[in-house]
Amino acid sequence: MDIQLKRGLLDVCVLAAIRSEDSYGYQIIKDMKPYIDMSESTLYTILKRLEAAGMLTVRAAEHGGRLRKYYHITKAGLDRLEEFREDWAELMSIYRFVTREERDHE
Amino acid sequence: MNKQEFLSLLAQELSGLPGKDVTDRLAFYDEMIDDRIEEGLSEEDAVDEMGPVDEVAAQILEEIPLSRLVRERVRPKRRLRAWEILLLILGSPLWLSLLLAAGAVLLAVYVVIWALVGCLWAVAVAVFVSSLGCLAAGGLFLLRHEVPRGLAALGAGLALVGLSIFLFFLCRAASRGVVALTRAFKSLFVRKEAAA
Repeated sequence: MDIQLKRGLLDVCVLAAIRSEDSYGYQIIKDMKPYIDMSESTLYTILKRLEAAGMLTVRAAEHGGRLRKYYHITKAGLDRLEEFREDWAELMSIYRFVTREERDHE
Repeated sequence: MNKQEFLSLLAQELSGLPGKDVTDRLAFYDEMIDDRIEEGLSEEDAVDEMGPVDEVAAQILEEIPLSRLVRERVRPKRRLRAWEILLLILGSPLWLSLLLAAGAVLLAVYVVIWALVGCLWAVAVAVFVSSLGCLAAGGLFLLRHEVPRGLAALGAGLALVGLSIFLFFLCRAASRGVVALTRAFKSLFVRKEAAA
């Protein structure tokens, strides 16, 4: 997928991965793997950005004798996901515009 | 490669970044590798899944905004030691005057270059003004029915107009050249600062 397009979608994907329950880094990558490939450094950057934007909070919890960071979605994060739904309708109309001529030829 | 090797190599590659950033990143990779091991991967395989250290480091640097990197780079890495400060102060009569002299020479050269360009402009303006004079004189001569003189003056005037147009383009090119030179000189220093 086009890198610019993907970049915009990754934020939403990470939020979606922690929507139903708190999750941790590796679990997020695994959950997203079937849909979108993401490197560790990219995930780190996105998590930092979302945290700075107040869309998620981080807590460290003990797990198997070590600390693991869990990410929890906030109200702002849920709002962002809702916003994405609305964006999507707009995106679909853009998609129809872009592919209009192809369909006309068929 | 085991986890410790991976993390210390990565720390080395990221040594230019702020300390808090590096420890955060390392903790993140530490957790990622541990989680893979917990899932049944060997330590080697878990580390392999992170990719080569230099690529990981390159990607991290790529994702950090440039402005922050530059800020980190410009910040001095260490303080001057006492004897270095002493030496700087004691040597100041020597190095300060040399530095000032060098600066003054550079400034003088720069001023001379602009003065030359200024001379060119002055010549161009002078030629243009005299061309106007010649044209006016030619007109007057013709009014007084002194046709040969009038034609000669008009011809000279037209020639001078042509010359002044030519000079104008020459002057403009020269000015632009000096401005470009100034920029090149400035960027030399700015780049040096960023790379230091």
